Formats: sequence, structure tokens, C-alpha cells
Amino acid sequence: MSWIRRAPELLVPAALILGTALLGLEVSSYLQAYFLDTLVKVAIVVALYVFIGNSGVLSFGHVSFVAVGAWTAGVLTVPEGQKRITMPGLAHFLLTTNVGNVASLALAAVIGGIFAFAVGLPLMRLSGLAAGIATFGVLEITNNVLTYEQRIGPGLNAFSSVPSTTGIWQAAIGGVICVAVAYVYQRTRFSRMLRATREDPAAAAAAGISIYRQRLLAFTLSGALAGFAGGLYVHLQPLQAGGLSLDLTFITLAMLVVGGSGSLLGAVVGALALNGLFSFFSAATNTVDVFGWSLTVPSGTAELALGALMAVVLILRPSGLTGGRELSLPRRRAVVDLEKARVTT
Amino acid sequence: MTLAFLNLTWPTFANGLALGGVYALMAVGIGLVFGVLRLVNFAYGQLIMAGAFALAYGSQWGFPNWASILFCFGVVLGLSVLMDWLVFRPLRTHSPAVMLVATFAVAFLLQSIALLAFGPLGKSAGELAILNAPWDIGGVFIKKIAVISFVTAVGCLVILQLLLTRTPLGLHMRAAAMDFRTARLLGVRANWVISGAVIVSGLFAAVSAVMLSVTELTVVPAFGTQDTILVLAGVVLGGLNRPIPATLGGFAIGFANGVLGGVLPSNQSQYLPSFLFAAVIIVLLVRPNGLFARGGGAVERV
Amino acid sequence: MTALAVEKLTVRYGAVEAVRDLSLEVKPGEIVGLIGPNGAGKSSTLHAIMGAAPVTGGDVRLDGRSLVGRRPEDVARRGIALVPEGRRIFGELTVEENLRLGLAGRRRGSNGGGLERAYELFPVLREFRSRQAGVLSGGQQQQLAIGRALAAHPGVLLLDEPSLGLAPKIVDVVFEALAQIRDSGLGVLLVEQRAQRTVALADRSHVLANGELRLTLGPDDAGDTDRLVAAYLA
Repeated sequence: MSWIRRAPELLVPAALILGTALLGLEVSSYLQAYFLDTLVKVAIVVALYVFIGNSGVLSFGHVSFVAVGAWTAGVLTVPEGQKRITMPGLAHFLLTTNVGNVASLALAAVIGGIFAFAVGLPLMRLSGLAAGIATFGVLEITNNVLTYEQRIGPGLNAFSSVPSTTGIWQAAIGGVICVAVAYVYQRTRFSRMLRATREDPAAAAAAGISIYRQRLLAFTLSGALAGFAGGLYVHLQPLQAGGLSLDLTFITLAMLVVGGSGSLLGAVVGALALNGLFSFFSAATNTVDVFGWSLTVPSGTAELALGALMAVVLILRPSGLTGGRELSLPRRRAVVDLEKARVTT
Repeated sequence: MTLAFLNLTWPTFANGLALGGVYALMAVGIGLVFGVLRLVNFAYGQLIMAGAFALAYGSQWGFPNWASILFCFGVVLGLSVLMDWLVFRPLRTHSPAVMLVATFAVAFLLQSIALLAFGPLGKSAGELAILNAPWDIGGVFIKKIAVISFVTAVGCLVILQLLLTRTPLGLHMRAAAMDFRTARLLGVRANWVISGAVIVSGLFAAVSAVMLSVTELTVVPAFGTQDTILVLAGVVLGGLNRPIPATLGGFAIGFANGVLGGVLPSNQSQYLPSFLFAAVIIVLLVRPNGLFARGGGAVERV
Repeated sequence: MTALAVEKLTVRYGAVEAVRDLSLEVKPGEIVGLIGPNGAGKSSTLHAIMGAAPVTGGDVRLDGRSLVGRRPEDVARRGIALVPEGRRIFGELTVEENLRLGLAGRRRGSNGGGLERAYELFPVLREFRSRQAGVLSGGQQQQLAIGRALAAHPGVLLLDEPSLGLAPKIVDVVFEALAQIRDSGLGVLLVEQRAQRTVALADRSHVLANGELRLTLGPDDAGDTDRLVAAYLA
């Protein structure tokens, strides 16, 4: 019964993604680039949500899984001849191995998940600020290594000659896959146990829930999704280590928080709305037509608008645009609300 | 690593002390605001960036050095107070997670404004760069700025310690950091305590801006961000709730950064941030509340 | 000195009414007791007076001027001092620093009070003045909390369950000090669980149950346990 009632939790976000994709097909190829970018961002934000939304623990390190996934998919799909020229320092195994598009995405997910698992094993014992700093450290270390290590990727240079297989359909399907995985996980009792630890860690532990294990599971899963998104991303544009660091972390975190970090719908809405806004202002630096009016803004306005919006939403409505709620069909029977009474002397 | 120690020269040691001193100041600035507001100000680096830009513009507009420094202080203090009014105070009642992300947003916002206003290439840091010149101390050449930074940092910390232990306001601030609610019930003025912390925090940011801008040749919108992140790591390492260990944590990371930066050959020094953060992570795993934390303290729900 | 008047006070947390229509008065030189079972609203009353609890009806007046809506630090500076439940001293500060904190609540232009008063009343504090407050025993900490409140030279002293967790001998010391404080001219509002001792000490005691005033007793009723029990269970 609840499957039917809860179906909109999956269908609405999926529909939003597909709707965006269809819209993207109708516009000029110049604007389509923004739609593609938005769809890939949805995948990243959903990956973030799977961990942060369910566990209530902030992670600043997920973009490192995106980067690792991107590196994996990129290095394994650039034609060998090209690799010898642009990435001569590559390890022999990586130099000679090549896989197809779908395989590269799958491997990106797998490697992302393995990396997340390895990172999560020690880190999931931490909470609060310590977890924040530690995941920050992971981001910095990964970025540092990927920037300078020539044996596993292009190092300082941008990826070039990666097959541009992420068109509207690949991006949309990728996004829907992420949403579907997030939805399925959300319906399992594992995620329910994890959410219990978010609300009241002491009570959850007393009930026998292993906070560590549930967090590790969510972390690994979200790492795999992030890696997958990274694979989508590298097949879209020439990525560089510098672009997969703090700025992207901020942007995707902003999208999640503004949309509402407590729900899958929030993640999708936040990503679509904010990246839409971001893209709009970015496009407007080269003049854009809005219902017949010409609009030009200086470059950097997009980041400004994003930062301002995030700050405003956080101050006025911290639970985000969706208030952390999913959309579901209303229940037939009324539920009695128990009021919380405070104990006073 | 033994080779590294053999490479340790007096100038490098001095640079380590200097950077440690500046990081210690930044650690205190962040720690003070955390103590009374329970808020980690990610945007602290942007305060330093604003101060550095003020110095750069000051010298561009032909101000004498002391005027540039005054201008820098004014800008940083003004920005601090503005941040407090517009962001910190409305957010005080929300969860630590929201406050963390909000200051993250403010940091990003300020950086974007700087990008918009100043462009990505930045400005030259100005005339104070002459302090980069070395003093000849018994045959060893130590940068003037290294000595000045260290002495200034120690001086500021001593003055702060006096403020905290010998004045009523300092006592109120310490009490508020321990138990704000009870302090208010005793008559401690919440607004004064918060303003006091914000102002001292801003002053330290301004001092740090001056010190850092001497060794950096250009001021870019990202100025101070990497340093803030390292300081934050150092503070959490030392123990966020404990003021002295937090300061020591900041100093330690600054010292390590300065010394290792000068001592490691360049193909290893590229990975210096990784080493530092790896060390931070390892310590956090063993002592999540910091190296010197005592067992108690509220569990944060972030 | 000063008189505290509480009139038809209503305190509400969300949907729960902690105190309903409570009226009482504390004049200089008297101890008023406030007793009742757990959850009766006694602490809420004190917090409401201090401006730390949501008042949805009625008024609290000090010397005729309303306190409702003021910030806690402002209420403290008008001459009301609270000794909180659980003492809430600052363990990492020294005894002397704790007392100095109390000075924050001094009224404008007041030169009285100060630390000497606290040291006179509780000599043990003078002995420990440079030690960290955390090393004191429960009873000593309670004395410190009261001394800290007195340092502000208040006109009215509010105490929230000072005898909680203390050995009977120490309770004697504390209650004896309260009598001295009353005799020096302050008004004292004493919230307590130890009904009999409070009723015996106070000039009058109000019984609060479920947020409402049920009964007022005088010191002579201290031996009348039946009446007390009936009031609690009503």
C-alpha cells in the first residue's frame, strides 16, 4: 500500500529531470550546454543527499568521489593514441586499457564506491565538526594528488579527447538512475535506521542501531553515485582538477541546502532551480534575450547570485525550499498528533 | 625526513615561527567567535582578503603606510560588524549545521563579490613588501617580516590574555563561552560580549592581513582561503572548545606549514597540503575532540 | 528596599501551560516559599520573573514597574538575583572569579554588595577564593551560588531548589544563611521540594500543583502533614 502512496517520491523527481531534458532538446545548442550541466549537477546533488540527507552529517569530501569517478572514466576512454601524447606519464596499465562508454560509467561508480568505502572506514566514527574537517581534508588531499600525479591522469592539465558521450539522454537517464537508487535506498530499513540516528543518536544507539555501519553504508553508496556522476561529467566537458574542488563542493552543497537537505525532492529541486539560475546568469554575461529584453551582466554575477540566494534562504528558511518533505499522496485516515510537553518543576 | 631536518636553517625556522604566529592569531579570532556564538566562521578568510585588498588599494592611492594599515583595520572591522549583524545574530538559534553552511555561503558570496569587483588577477600587495628584506643577525639573514610577525603575534596574544583575565569584560566573555544562559541570568550583557568577541576577532584578522600580505606578492580573491582552512584544521586539532590548545593547534599547523614548505624539495612540497591534512585526519581519528580535550562537552549534532 | 509582585502570571511553552493565573508577593525582609510536586511550574515561575520563560499573561512587577518582556540581563540589573537549579557555577573559573561575575548584576549607581558580603556569610569561600570552583563540594558550590547572587546587592533573591542533592547538615547551613539574608532586609522567594523545612522557615508558603496555586500555609502548618499531602494531590 505504502509503495503506491510513496511512489510520487520517485516519480516527481524523475519527471522533473525528464521534463528538463525535453526542454533541453528544444533550445539552441548554445543553451543546451547549460541544460546538460544542470542535469549532471542533479546527479551529484542526489549523491550528496543520499549521505547528508539521511545521516545528518555534513560531508565536504564528496566532490573527491566525483573527481575519482571522472578520472576513472576519462582515463579509460581517451583513445590510446591520444593518451600517449597528452598524458605520457600514465601508468602502463591505464595507458593500454580502454573501455566503452557504459563500462566507463559503471567503473566510475565502482571506483567511486570503493574509494568512499576506504575513506569511510576510518572517518565514519566521527561526527560534527571533526567529520566536517576530516572530509575537508579528504577533498584537499584528493585534489592535491590528482593535480600533481601524472601517473593516473592529466595532472594539471584539463582532460582532452574524452568522447563526448553525455548528451541530453545520457545525462537524463543518468540522473534518473541516481534518483531511482536513492529512492530504493530510502525505502529500505537501513536508511530508516540511519535517519533514526539523525534524529536522536542516543536513542538509536540504545535501540541497537549501529551508527557506524549505517553511515558507512550510506557513505559508500553515495560515493558510488558521486563517482557515477563524475563519469557523466567527464564525458560532457574537459574537466580539470581545479574545477573539482572547493567551488564545486560549495555549489552542490548550496543546491542541496536550498532545495531542502531532508528530502530527495529537495535535492532535485535545489539542483534544477539553482543551476538554472546559475546558468541563466552565466549565459547573460554574453547577453541573453528575456521576453524581448536584452540583458547583459558582468562575469561573476552568477556566483554572486548563488551565494546571496543561499545565504538568504538559510537565514529565512533553514529547512530549504521543500522544507525537507517529500511529495506523497495524502493518507486516508487522520493521524493524531501527540504534543510534546516540556517537563518543568 | 632526516634529510629535511638537515636542511633546516635559521631563516626557515624563523619563517615557521612567523607563520605559526599569524596562524595562532587567526585561530584565536575564529575561536573567540566560536566561544560566544558557537559558530565557526568560514568567512574569516574573506575578512583577511578584504583587509589585504584595502592595503593594496591604499598603496595604489598613494596613502602613506600607516594610513593604509589604518584603512585596512577600518575595512576589516566594518565588515566583521556587518557580518555579525546580518548573518550571525539572526542565525544564533539554529542548529550548528545550518550555521556552518551559512558561513560557508557568506564566504563564497564575499569571494564572488571580490571576483566581480577586482577581477581574478588581483592587485599587487603594495609597499609593505620592503619588509620582506632580511636583517643580518649574526651572519644569518632572517626576513624582517618574520621577526615582526612573530613578535606582533605574541604581543597581541599577551594583550588578549590580559584582557580576558584582568578585565570585567574579559571575565564576562569567558563565562559566556562556558554557559551563556547562566551568564545572562547573572547580568552579563549578551550584546556587549558578542560585540567584544567580534571586534577582537576582527582586529586579529586585520593584523593577520597585514602580516600575510607582506609575504604574498599579489592579493587575489582567494587570498587567505587556504590559510583559513589550515587554521581551522589546526583549531579542531587542538580542540575547538579549549582556547589555549586551539591557539597551539593553529600555531603548530602554521609552524609545520612554514618549516616544511621551506625544507622540502619542490617535488615533495607540492604535496605539503596533503601531508598536513593527513596528519590532521589521523589525530582526529584518535582524538575527535582535539588533542587536549577533556571528556565532557556537548555532542554536536551536525 | 524592593517589593516583588507577581499578578495572574501565565507561562506557556507551545501548547503546554506551565503556570496559570499565579499571584504572589514578596516584600522586603520576608521569605516566601513556593513548594509543590515535580512539574508543578515552580521553576517556570522563577524563570518567568527573570525573563527567561515565555509569559503569555499577567504581569511581574518590581517596585511597581513591569519586568515582562525585558531581557534576563536587564532584569538582573534591576535588583533581582537568581540562584539557579543545580547551582550552575563556572567550574573552570576560580571562586573569586565566580563571585566577581555576580557583580555584573549590580544596579546602576549602586556601591553596595560586593564580595565581602559573600565571604562574611560563607567563610569557606574566602578559604577557597583562588581555587577552581569545580573542586568545591556540592554544599560549598551551593554557598558559592548564593554568594554570587548576593554580590549583585539585589533587593530580591530567587532560589531554585537549593537543597537539591545536599546532605541534611549542609541544608541547615544554607537555610540558616537564608534566615540571615532575610534579616538583613532582602526579600526571598524560595522554591523547594523539601516541603516541611520550607514551610517552617518561610513567613508564608504557597503550594503549587499543575501550574496553579492551591494553598497558602504559614509556619505553624509545618507539622500538619495531612494538609500538605492533600494540597499536593489536589
